[in-house]
Amino acid sequence: MNRNTFSYKLKQVLMFAGPGTILFFCVVVVPFVYGLYLTFTSWDGVSPNKPFVGFENYVAAFQDSAYWIALGRTAIYSIFAVVFINVLAFALAYLVTSGVKGQNFFRAGFFVPNLIGGIVLGYIWKFVFNRAYVALASAIAGGQVASPLSTTGGAMFCLIFVSVWQYAGYMMLIYVAGFMSVSDSLKEAAMIDGCTPSQAMRNVTIPLMRSSFVQCIFLSITRCFVVYDVNLSLTKGEPFGTSVMAAMHVYNTAFTYKKYGLGQAEALILFLVCAIVGVTQVVIGKKGEVEA
Amino acid sequence: MASLSLKHIEKIYENGYHAVHDFNLEVEDKEFIIFVGPSGCGKSTTLRMIAGLEDISEGEFLIDGVKMNDVEPKDRDIAMVFQSYALYPHMTVRDNMGFALKLRKVPQAEIDAKVDEVAKILDLEKFLDRKPKALSGGQRQRVAMGRAIVRQPKVFLMDEPLSNLDAKLRVQMRTEIAKLHERLGTTIIYVTHDQTEAMTLGTRIVVMKDGLVQQINSPEHLYNKPCNLFVAGFIGSPQMNFLDAVVEKKGNDTFLDIAGFPIKLPADKAEALKGYEGKTVIAGIRPEHLLDGRGKEKDFVTIKAPIEVRELLGAEAYLYFTLGGKQCTARVASDVDLYVGMEGTMALDLNKLQLFDKETEQSLLWKEW
Repeated sequence: MNRNTFSYKLKQVLMFAGPGTILFFCVVVVPFVYGLYLTFTSWDGVSPNKPFVGFENYVAAFQDSAYWIALGRTAIYSIFAVVFINVLAFALAYLVTSGVKGQNFFRAGFFVPNLIGGIVLGYIWKFVFNRAYVALASAIAGGQVASPLSTTGGAMFCLIFVSVWQYAGYMMLIYVAGFMSVSDSLKEAAMIDGCTPSQAMRNVTIPLMRSSFVQCIFLSITRCFVVYDVNLSLTKGEPFGTSVMAAMHVYNTAFTYKKYGLGQAEALILFLVCAIVGVTQVVIGKKGEVEA
Repeated sequence: MASLSLKHIEKIYENGYHAVHDFNLEVEDKEFIIFVGPSGCGKSTTLRMIAGLEDISEGEFLIDGVKMNDVEPKDRDIAMVFQSYALYPHMTVRDNMGFALKLRKVPQAEIDAKVDEVAKILDLEKFLDRKPKALSGGQRQRVAMGRAIVRQPKVFLMDEPLSNLDAKLRVQMRTEIAKLHERLGTTIIYVTHDQTEAMTLGTRIVVMKDGLVQQINSPEHLYNKPCNLFVAGFIGSPQMNFLDAVVEKKGNDTFLDIAGFPIKLPADKAEALKGYEGKTVIAGIRPEHLLDGRGKEKDFVTIKAPIEVRELLGAEAYLYFTLGGKQCTARVASDVDLYVGMEGTMALDLNKLQLFDKETEQSLLWKEW
């Protein structure tokens, strides 16, 4: 068989890359392009007619102050959540790689919240904050104590808290892999060179875990920016719409207010913001990255 | 530089595994000590106990008379070259070499001067701004050495530093290390499983097996006067030939019957075999002490066996044959015209013959370590 012919090479490419490419095209490219097309229409999400309106939806999106407030709120939520998720995940990873007894049990235990869906997790914590916390705090205080979900700051705190609870275990696994990729001989060399444990961590271990930091921060930023499920089940945007995140605003615009084209345009802007922040972080983080 | 003292050192892991048994060693200033032995013999564990990377289960370890058992590695004033080099991949060669001094808050100008000086010695000046990834194996090895030298520690510890290099580079680096030892006059403890490295580098060699020290002495002593069968077999390449030999007394003469060849022993060897008459001992003869015996029958004891394999190595050749059911090797000059299928006549240099007790495997000739 002549392996240098064009038809042979084409068959090879189709056989190996074909199924994946077709699947990717069908479930990613086509919906994305169709979604992009819908941003130029005033479709209500139900009607068979999709009138073309040009850039009207983008103009409306930029004039929608509630959207930008929700986006700003999402940014604040993301900053706090990303920091706390990563700090906690790193600390947990350090704990479960330090040779502590039962470390495999702890690894599995810390990962479990990630296995519970965001909706279920939100309802569980809603029960905890609205019922368990209120009952306990009231008993201790000797009077009625309000649920933290009923105050503006409290709702935001609860959202951040539950997100940290949900994602820290997942990010921990990436940090665990990072810790394990730093060879023992490097840590020992640092000890012999004169490092205290904290100096060895700062000068050797952390710089060599750069790729873990880049991955975890990227994942947590992208997940936090598009948070919806926990937002819906835990606060539903309350109190008084002060915990409505960007994704919830997009959903409401598209499906509750039947402005699918506008919602789609706002979703695209959210995607671009999320992509710019995430990719910038990856580009900066990847500079100077080395294999451990 | 420093003297080291290891007294009755034991290493027992939490799972009960006894890695090192009653290790005793006095290391003088400027000595080049080699720990050698097969994998799992405890040599690296002992080195790591000296470094402070492993706890000492029992016994005392002293540097310059100061007990070091509970002293942190950073406070022992030692430097270590690892098998994997353990260079920090995110730092340049300059930063790698100066890292320990930086931690000790040495002024940057002084660090730079010292790094430059050592880089010059090791021919690393061109690579100071590169990262380890951009260096060859030999260059990385030199950086690892440089990192240790810059610190001017009391003791250098080296854990199989050449084992990741190819054969040619290993020989080159071996001579570099020997030169460095001469030049710096440092106390070095060097771990290897390669007996050639041990023989060429060490002022004294510690031979270990199963966590036990077998013999401690100079390379020459270990080669000529091995105290037991293990040391005799481990030191020297190709390894010593071992043959069962029955001791026979005929009149005043003592003979060894090796595979049907009666060999009359010289007086000193015969003396060592008193009480072994009629018993079987192990006779050991190194391949280089088996000579082409043709025409030497009058001056040497000779044995005959058909040559089974001939390996030409350039200046010399190895001849393989079977004697008394045991595979034997002779190391002869490459121009010796003995080939596969020919009947080889081998002359034994009886002055070099080693004798071992078959039960205890201890030498019958040399009692001292």
